[in-house]
Amino acid sequence: MKSHLIIYGLAIFVRVFLIYSDYRENIADRIEISTPLNSFNRILESYYRMSIGVDPYSSDVLHESPLHLHFYKHIIENTGQYLPLVFVFCDVLTAYLLYLFAKKYILNLRIEQYINMNLYLKHLKDQMLNVSDNEAIPLYVTVMYLFNPYIIFNCVACTTTTFLNLCLATFLYAICSGSVIIGAVSLAIASLQSLYPVILISALYLSVLKYQNSMFKAVISVISCISLLVVFIFSSYYLMGSWNFIPQTYGFILQVSDQQPNIGIYWYFFMEMFEHFKELFICSYQINVTILYFIPLTIKFRKDPVLLGICFIMLTGIFKSYPSIGDFGFSLALLPVMKYMYNCMQQIFVSIVAIITTTTLAPILWNLWIYWGSANANFFFGTTLAFITAHIFILTDVSFAHSKHDYLLKYGNDRTINGQPAKLVLG
Amino acid sequence: MAVVFILLCYFQLSLALQYSDKFTEELVLKPLVQDQIYAHFQFTTIWNVDARSRDLFQSHLFSRALSEVIVRHNVQELHISLTAGLWNYETWGYPIVDSAPGAEVWVWFKDDTNDIDTNWKQLTNSLSGLLCASLNQIDNTNSINPDISFAPTGIISNTLNSSFVRYATLPREIVCTENLTPWKKLLPCDSKLGLATLLNAGPIHNTRYHSLSIHLRPICRNAQCDLASIELTQSVDLVYDFTILGTRNWSLRKLFGQGIMNSCPLADTSTIYVETTNNDTNIFHLSPTPDEYLISTRGGFSSQFAKYVVKERPMTIAASYADKQMYTVNIPPPLYANQYKIGYGQQKGGLVTKIYNNHWAPIDVVVLQNLPWYIPIYLHTLKIISNGTPMKPQKLIYKPGKMREKAHSLELMLRLPAKSTTSIKFYFDYVFLKWQEYPPDANHGFYIGSAIISGHLPLGRNYTGIPQDGSTYASSFNASRKNYFVQIRTEPIVITLPTPDFSMPYNVICLACTVVALAFGPLHNITTKRLVLKVNSDNLLTKLKKFGRSLFCSKKL
Amino acid sequence: MMIIPALYSILLILYVKCDSDTKALERFAENSKGHTNNWAVLVDTSRFWFNYRHVANVLSIYRSVKRLGIPDSQIILMIADDMACNPRNPRPATVFNNAKQHINVYGDDVEVDYRGYEVTVENFVRLLTGRLQPNTPRSKQLLTDEGSNILIYLTGHGGDGFLKFQDSEEITSQEMADAIEQMWQKQRYNEIFFMIDTCQAASMYERFYSPNILAVGSSLVGEDSLSHHVDPAIGVYIIDRYTFYALEFLESVAPNTKRTMGEFLQVCPKRDCISTVGVRKDLFRRNPFQVPITDFFGSFRPVKLLKNIHNETINVITSIEEPVETRSSFRYVEPLSF
Repeated sequence: MKSHLIIYGLAIFVRVFLIYSDYRENIADRIEISTPLNSFNRILESYYRMSIGVDPYSSDVLHESPLHLHFYKHIIENTGQYLPLVFVFCDVLTAYLLYLFAKKYILNLRIEQYINMNLYLKHLKDQMLNVSDNEAIPLYVTVMYLFNPYIIFNCVACTTTTFLNLCLATFLYAICSGSVIIGAVSLAIASLQSLYPVILISALYLSVLKYQNSMFKAVISVISCISLLVVFIFSSYYLMGSWNFIPQTYGFILQVSDQQPNIGIYWYFFMEMFEHFKELFICSYQINVTILYFIPLTIKFRKDPVLLGICFIMLTGIFKSYPSIGDFGFSLALLPVMKYMYNCMQQIFVSIVAIITTTTLAPILWNLWIYWGSANANFFFGTTLAFITAHIFILTDVSFAHSKHDYLLKYGNDRTINGQPAKLVLG
Repeated sequence: MAVVFILLCYFQLSLALQYSDKFTEELVLKPLVQDQIYAHFQFTTIWNVDARSRDLFQSHLFSRALSEVIVRHNVQELHISLTAGLWNYETWGYPIVDSAPGAEVWVWFKDDTNDIDTNWKQLTNSLSGLLCASLNQIDNTNSINPDISFAPTGIISNTLNSSFVRYATLPREIVCTENLTPWKKLLPCDSKLGLATLLNAGPIHNTRYHSLSIHLRPICRNAQCDLASIELTQSVDLVYDFTILGTRNWSLRKLFGQGIMNSCPLADTSTIYVETTNNDTNIFHLSPTPDEYLISTRGGFSSQFAKYVVKERPMTIAASYADKQMYTVNIPPPLYANQYKIGYGQQKGGLVTKIYNNHWAPIDVVVLQNLPWYIPIYLHTLKIISNGTPMKPQKLIYKPGKMREKAHSLELMLRLPAKSTTSIKFYFDYVFLKWQEYPPDANHGFYIGSAIISGHLPLGRNYTGIPQDGSTYASSFNASRKNYFVQIRTEPIVITLPTPDFSMPYNVICLACTVVALAFGPLHNITTKRLVLKVNSDNLLTKLKKFGRSLFCSKKL
Repeated sequence: MMIIPALYSILLILYVKCDSDTKALERFAENSKGHTNNWAVLVDTSRFWFNYRHVANVLSIYRSVKRLGIPDSQIILMIADDMACNPRNPRPATVFNNAKQHINVYGDDVEVDYRGYEVTVENFVRLLTGRLQPNTPRSKQLLTDEGSNILIYLTGHGGDGFLKFQDSEEITSQEMADAIEQMWQKQRYNEIFFMIDTCQAASMYERFYSPNILAVGSSLVGEDSLSHHVDPAIGVYIIDRYTFYALEFLESVAPNTKRTMGEFLQVCPKRDCISTVGVRKDLFRRNPFQVPITDFFGSFRPVKLLKNIHNETINVITSIEEPVETRSSFRYVEPLSF
């Protein structure tokens, strides 16, 4: 308990210190942190435009739903200069929710292990979760979230990704226990904000099916989530009085019309794209992140909806049109819950090193390009490519390790067939 | 032997219709406070016909090419200027006709026009053909419709609706002989006779500032103002620098390359005015002796002019200065402005407009910022500071632009305190364009048009404009009014937007797709296949090892 | 004041030489068969000050065709950058073909139809094929028909099989050939004289496959085209060799000349040009030595003034009713009143 207090206290201190230091503006201006979708400056601008009677959706300033805009408006109006503290609070709350999620998830995994114990080989006890993991892993997750520089900067820059992370953490917590209401509500809000989380709906369905053991409830959860989303969109319409916001929010996310650089792959790709091929590539890229892996991964991870959820969160974080480091920080914070399959992962070390290197290089090359004029766009693009590749390796490693770990528990470490050396391959 | 068929058709039109138009030409020469001289040509055609009657094709002096354009596109008022150089308000005072650097067009359409945007696009296309300028590049992405700043200068009969006005500038437009040539062809005497013979391409482009303009508006025909006429004013404004001329003793010949050979017979009057107000400090002697000296008292300030009437014989005017040059203290005009960019790098920048009020009383002004779509401004960062204290605009009209579709416009109504410097500052982001949207010289930069500050001056000091109810320069003599309307144009700004590597498209497409494939491949494998144990078959490496070993062994043997 | 009635006259002169030689009449009919009007498309594709010479090139040809009688309305002049009023030009509003300032090729009466950013491959191909935006003004359209002889002159930086436009895009020889084929199919020309002054110029006309084209290029494939000389006052090369000598030749041509295209094709031998001037005649059906140079560079038609004029005046309209103007109350608007 004491350690928890220290962790949270320290995390809050770091955030508040940075927020009220001179670095805040520099951090908030970084394109790795603030994208057109989540920049707090744009929220302030939209709020100002609303106050002088200009429709914030008539221009390209705001790409979030009207409901969110009104939520931010309330925060801005009621908190005044303490506004950044709301973001700190949300961040800490997210960390706590992740802690609860991890705890529950590890418990679930251990129960499953216990049930399936007779299927597993006895001598592989060390591959399984043990009692100490019950407390340790959730703590790792908390620390990984609270002291992740990505998340700290994201919070200090007051990006709206903070709220998205809060929703996703709530959702993860909900699917650990198969809670219909919390899951549906948090997923609907997250999808309303940034569209891509909508693919998590299969995780919700599977989790309700698994933990509540009722097909009816599972279907109800999906229906309620979708109908909630529809209700949100219609209430947005009534709030704004027009459908103007659709092209500016979901249209904008899908069409990638702003080429401001970020750490994703879209910006330079569509900056350099030939105009007549643009539609083709937009469609293929958006299908890649939403529909393409939806069914295969759902089937693959049907027994572990939480892992499915984590994979989808990682996937959308990597391939969404305007990713920020807040999204990557969130998926990285989830890695400790996969501790049990660490020794089945092959590329995690290389990936982490690549991520650290590119994170350091990116601002340097950005400055060389934009401020000093001695490098060009290719340099920065190169680092973002490497950064994305590293995250892709983590994602594929996680999904691969899951199968491997299963295999390991069932068939052991033996890699021979009739005495001949053999290899574990996909076939 | 030749057989000749000649067919001649005369259309004799009634006399009343024939002579309903008149043409006047004027040249104003004004030595400026420093080493410059300002020359203003004004050619005014007034045609007593109601523009609402569609028959504008039977004209006598009025340019048929223009009347086709205004009828076809339902134009009520048309203002075009093509300018190179920047008018220096601080030392030169106010010009007779204001214009922004580059090309500037603003138009009022008639209030029965249906599709303004289409008409506007078509009109600028026609004008580009008429004046050999790239005005066809004007479309919705760089035009605005300001609410306050551009009221019609001519007469109207209905209520005012600002949705019928369009304004656009092309700050980068170059102005050269190819624009002057078609401009001169709109004159009744072309450039063959009269004052227009002075407009020779070489000398008039060797100036600090040169501006061609066309202003067309409906005006009152009589005192009751129940009949309308069309007024077409074509003017050329030039600022010569004595350093470029090489001497202070100017003459028409030195300024324009030649004197006047003959007057234009179609002109009612053809007059040259030389301002001699400052002749007591920097004395110059005019030859030949002027026909007349005029004193004009306007808004509490009087100025003196020497008047020459152009007759049907060759003439020139020369001024010779006293040897000693007197340097006078420059008293800047009551209202002038600057604009500049702040910030460094290519991520975030700011735009500052500074307005100076030297008058002893507050002045109400309207500031119009015309920003292209690639300057997305953060309006919440708008700060107006006057003499160190923050100020609120009396009115703020912001019409947001849209990416690749519409320009941003911002109009601010301010009351400038007496003797003050007011700065208006806001920030914007640098936009990243697609590689095909950059011009061929992408590193030259992108232009932001001039800010326009409009206001009423209470005094006539430095004021040279023509009153709204007047048509010729002569009508500005002794034209005291309750206030004097000025529009000040600031400098246009160039910003260098960050550029991608233009040679990279294929590389980028390949690399990015490879990264997507890196995710697709493994995920596809994992989701479609299961893990199985397979006997190690000979792979390339082991084959190579075996081969190497065999080589090694054979050598040994 | 004198009252001069407006004269709207349609003057139709039919000029027939009756008796003396019907042969001359036949020859006249033969010569003008198909060919009724002349157009010129003159393109400079280079931007930036150091490409001054390309602007001088294109203006040299402009000056010549205008002097030889093609009106401005039938010349489409495309210039990618402004040299005359460029701040770096020590002599504003002039472009000279020679350091000794013999000829101001820019002149006092010039109409540039496409300038600056408008000079693009797309606009050029659209202009040739006539597929323009509906609102394009007349001066930016190539309104040719099946009786038009067109002079196409291109200058800029090129390579084997392409010509660069503004250093950012290029037109390939195949695109050029296809555009001309489209013109042929749309009956937009009678004959074309294609003239190009660029490096490896001959590669640009090699792909042509439409009939009635005579082509000349300043250099063969594999050769560079060279510039003529530097003007120290301007600091850059001011004209290219081939165009310099072509202009020299054209300056000696008067509108009523007897000189032929064959002579023009011999302009600038290798000792002058350093590069070899390439000529392609296989698509052209006539012998260039029997084609007057004014078939492409001018539009001179012999007109004889007749002394024994017979005037006949027909009064078509004697009076016209003055339209009754409606009176309404107009007012001026005070600026900034809202």
